[in-house]
Amino acid sequence: MATDTDIAPAPTETDHHDHPAHLQHHFVSSEQQFDSAKLGMWLFLITEILLFSAMFVAYAVYRQWHPETFVAASETLNVTMGTINTIVLLTSSLTVALSIHYIQKDEVKKCIYNLGATLVLAGGFMVIKYFEYTSKFEHGAYPGGMFDPHGGHYAQLADVPFASQFFSIYFVMTGIHGLHVIIGMAVIGWVAVRAWMGSFSSEYYTPVELTGLYWHLVDIVWIFLFPMLYLI
Amino acid sequence: MSDDGHHILPKATLLKVFGGLIFLTVLTVAVAYVPLGPLAVPVAIGIAATKATLVVLYFMALRYDNPVNALTFTIGIIMVMVFITFTMIDTAFRGDMGNVDRQTMGEIEREQEAAQQQQEQIPSEQLRVAPADYPDDRGADAGAASGDGDS
Repeated sequence: MATDTDIAPAPTETDHHDHPAHLQHHFVSSEQQFDSAKLGMWLFLITEILLFSAMFVAYAVYRQWHPETFVAASETLNVTMGTINTIVLLTSSLTVALSIHYIQKDEVKKCIYNLGATLVLAGGFMVIKYFEYTSKFEHGAYPGGMFDPHGGHYAQLADVPFASQFFSIYFVMTGIHGLHVIIGMAVIGWVAVRAWMGSFSSEYYTPVELTGLYWHLVDIVWIFLFPMLYLI
Repeated sequence: MSDDGHHILPKATLLKVFGGLIFLTVLTVAVAYVPLGPLAVPVAIGIAATKATLVVLYFMALRYDNPVNALTFTIGIIMVMVFITFTMIDTAFRGDMGNVDRQTMGEIEREQEAAQQQQEQIPSEQLRVAPADYPDDRGADAGAASGDGDS
């Protein structure tokens, strides 16, 4: 039994009698450890899906009650910015999938480049989101009771009953999604640094894989948010 | 080293899936400018669900993964469906639930139908209210009046 103070020699592919450095004592094999971590991640992703589904339910209920309001209010959102953001996020999903592809093939440098690209794209998403938010705040399109639309094409919303409901849902859903993007950026940055430090290889890349799963979920949430808020 | 559980997705597959996702994004934006009426919402959600399925199956590699992960995911999605459907069953029909009459809605509908049928059975002579309803006695007058108007 190896202990924390007992540093094992660097694991090699041929030597299976030594514990690889990444393998924890309570797992039989790297394979079992990887599968357990992945199942745990899927369970976490389900809790995330349920968190967002509560907001999707709120959207469905209010849309069913006031369909005209949602059609009128969604027309004030900027479809061009929404479309660009969708493409940005889809591309970031591709780069994170590629980073896993490369670490599986032991191409650490390419893995890091793709993680970096993901980080840049995620940052771009937040910047576009910032411009969307500020243009709404300028015209008083705040959530809930602070809703006071004026100027531009927002002025017509003053006559639309329940229009503030749409913006409450819009800000809560995109806000919590944006929070997930920021958390994802922090985690991707951490994984990229660890990859840079040489912690990962085709033998052990669980954090890269799990971060990828999380990032794809963030992408999926946006895949639904985009048509629901901007298009219909 | 390639373990059975570690399926490496070829780069070509990832790029093809990405191409499909971009195509569907352009499609959903294009379709939004087509007046589809009541179909707009199902079409938009359908395209989004297709995109999400592509991401789950290929980017998240659930298709090649340990089946227990797919099971976990499927159960979660079923729970989301239950969540949405059962909430909508309540909220979409609240107006009907406000009816606290002793009669059932079926009974009220049957009564209304019976009343309507009874009304239809009333002979047409009893329903005469306007001069035009008396074609026999005043038809000539009406014709004369319109004739005056023409001349």
